[in-house]
Amino acid sequence: MALSVEHIQIAAYLGAGICVGIGAVTTGIGSGIIAGEGAYGIVKQPKANEQIFRTMLIGQAAAQTAGIFALVISMLLIYGRADAPEGGWFKAAAYLAAGLAMGLGSVGPSLGAGYAGGQACKSVARMPKHGNAIMGNMLIGQALSQTSAIFALVVAFLLIYSVPNQAADISMGRIIVKSVALIAAGLSIGFGTLGPGTGIGYVAGKASDMMGRFPNEKPKIMRTMFLGAAVSESTAIYSLVVAFLLIFAL
Amino acid sequence: MNLTLAQGIVKASALLGAGLCMGMGALGPGVGEGFVAGKACEGIARSPENASLITRTMLVGQAVSESTGIYSLVIALLLIFST
Amino acid sequence: MTKKKSPMLRIILIFFVIEIILVFLSGNFSKQLEIGFEHGKFRIRHVETEYNLQEKITEEFQIDEYYKQHGETPEIYGSEKIYNTFKNIFGVEGAVGTFQLLRMLLIVDIVLLLTALFIRKNLARRPAKSQIIFELIYTSLEEFVSETLGEDKAYYTPYIVTLFLFIWVCNMVGMIPIPGFMEPTRNLNVPLSLGFMVVVVVHFSAIKFKGAWNHLQNYINPVKNPLFLLDIVGEVSKVVSISFRLFGNILGGAIIILVVSSLVSFVVFPIGLTLFFGIFVGTIQAFVFTMLALTYISVEITE
Repeated sequence: MALSVEHIQIAAYLGAGICVGIGAVTTGIGSGIIAGEGAYGIVKQPKANEQIFRTMLIGQAAAQTAGIFALVISMLLIYGRADAPEGGWFKAAAYLAAGLAMGLGSVGPSLGAGYAGGQACKSVARMPKHGNAIMGNMLIGQALSQTSAIFALVVAFLLIYSVPNQAADISMGRIIVKSVALIAAGLSIGFGTLGPGTGIGYVAGKASDMMGRFPNEKPKIMRTMFLGAAVSESTAIYSLVVAFLLIFAL
Repeated sequence: MNLTLAQGIVKASALLGAGLCMGMGALGPGVGEGFVAGKACEGIARSPENASLITRTMLVGQAVSESTGIYSLVIALLLIFST
Repeated sequence: MTKKKSPMLRIILIFFVIEIILVFLSGNFSKQLEIGFEHGKFRIRHVETEYNLQEKITEEFQIDEYYKQHGETPEIYGSEKIYNTFKNIFGVEGAVGTFQLLRMLLIVDIVLLLTALFIRKNLARRPAKSQIIFELIYTSLEEFVSETLGEDKAYYTPYIVTLFLFIWVCNMVGMIPIPGFMEPTRNLNVPLSLGFMVVVVVHFSAIKFKGAWNHLQNYINPVKNPLFLLDIVGEVSKVVSISFRLFGNILGGAIIILVVSSLVSFVVFPIGLTLFFGIFVGTIQAFVFTMLALTYISVEITE
């Protein structure tokens, strides 16, 4: 069955909508957590309001990175693709899968980054003297938790730009296998980043919290944070491997 | 490699299963290992003299809680390559 | 605080300037910028050349596939003789990728060797700046090693420092925008062999300190270790996770820089991305790889 350009456009627009729609949910929740903790911190420690406000703004900006990734992918899906009718089912499935991958993939990381930022605001309110160290730790932790969002972004880019056009003489069974494999790749990395992103966010939040309580133990806390975050990321890496296999090995 | 429609549907559902298996299977271990690491950060901050013991416990706990993720990986690879 | 920061800031600024100059000079950059006046206004616009992102991705990441599709003779910057030898060994399919990878690894090795010789020649009681940097790296890693493994096993430090410096230089060398330059860690073979080596070192140390029979019992004796099947799978997954972490992060950075720099016509934005993915992610991943290797060793040899 041949597809026209309109069919591929439907898939791309659907993917774009899913991408930014799901991606915006937890970006909002994460930023809200940070703002809430920041406001509560200012109530408790009105003298340090400038520092808390700065931490809050920077934390919110970093927590929205995954949401911005989702926005980029949906922009690419709307404006940055070449409509070719010979792309066929492969292109349609790839566009839908790219939207699913980045949309689901930004849920966990932004929730985690939101928790990390919230704990950092709380911690700055408790210990305004060590505000800079806490903010640095918060930024590193949020960057760690966005790593899995970067994996989702890579898979989405590959789905949009490196899936070949459908060959002319190809059987229906082969078409179904390849298209479903592409969608499964998107689902794999999309759900796979959810847990690690949240988990690493929890690690970063606890580390920021403890850095406010015991500022002398900074190197040990940061080392444990790096190590724990790196090990928690391994399931996201397994998802990435499976997604690569589903895109390229079939 | 050309497949008939029925073969294609079987293979396609195996692949969809592989994607969902790895995706959902990564959810629990990720959150769990993050919880372990967060608590380890707390523990090291509270008693820094036991740092190496806590780090070792953290790694062993994470390795055990990662086992379900590894099961998912094995099942996903089986679904991709053996059907 | 400000005194501490200023040299770092200066380095970053110098890096910015060098990067901008190199990006403008390198003919590899796909979009030519045109700077000039148009209708009385200053404008920067790009001249679109024939450009296909899909082909570019294939050329960058699956170079053998690219040459197979296009049937061109690949551009060899080194010697033709070496390339032909590779073609005889690996066949036409893997020749270009292998050649590029080995050339990059050779460059990294030469950089490390020359740095080591230079530092060694200029060793002094009152250290110069370069000596301070390397002594700082060595002593801080030595501190980690003696903290995790114990003071008496600090002789693992050279291995750990070598691992760190090698991976770090590998991650940094890809930032130089010269055609054909890439991070060797972007090719899966390099992280996979490094990870395999780490597991070999781990088991070698375990056998050395616990004895071969004691160590083997962890994997065959269900009474001593009820989860022994899990441990066998875990050994394989150790290699997979430690190597794919490095590979995925570096490859992800490279793909994002490539795609974004082809979408955005301004040159400034990719430089910021290069700073983040090159310096920050590269350093963190090198550190994480080293620390994971160290803790894998420590779990086996300290009981």
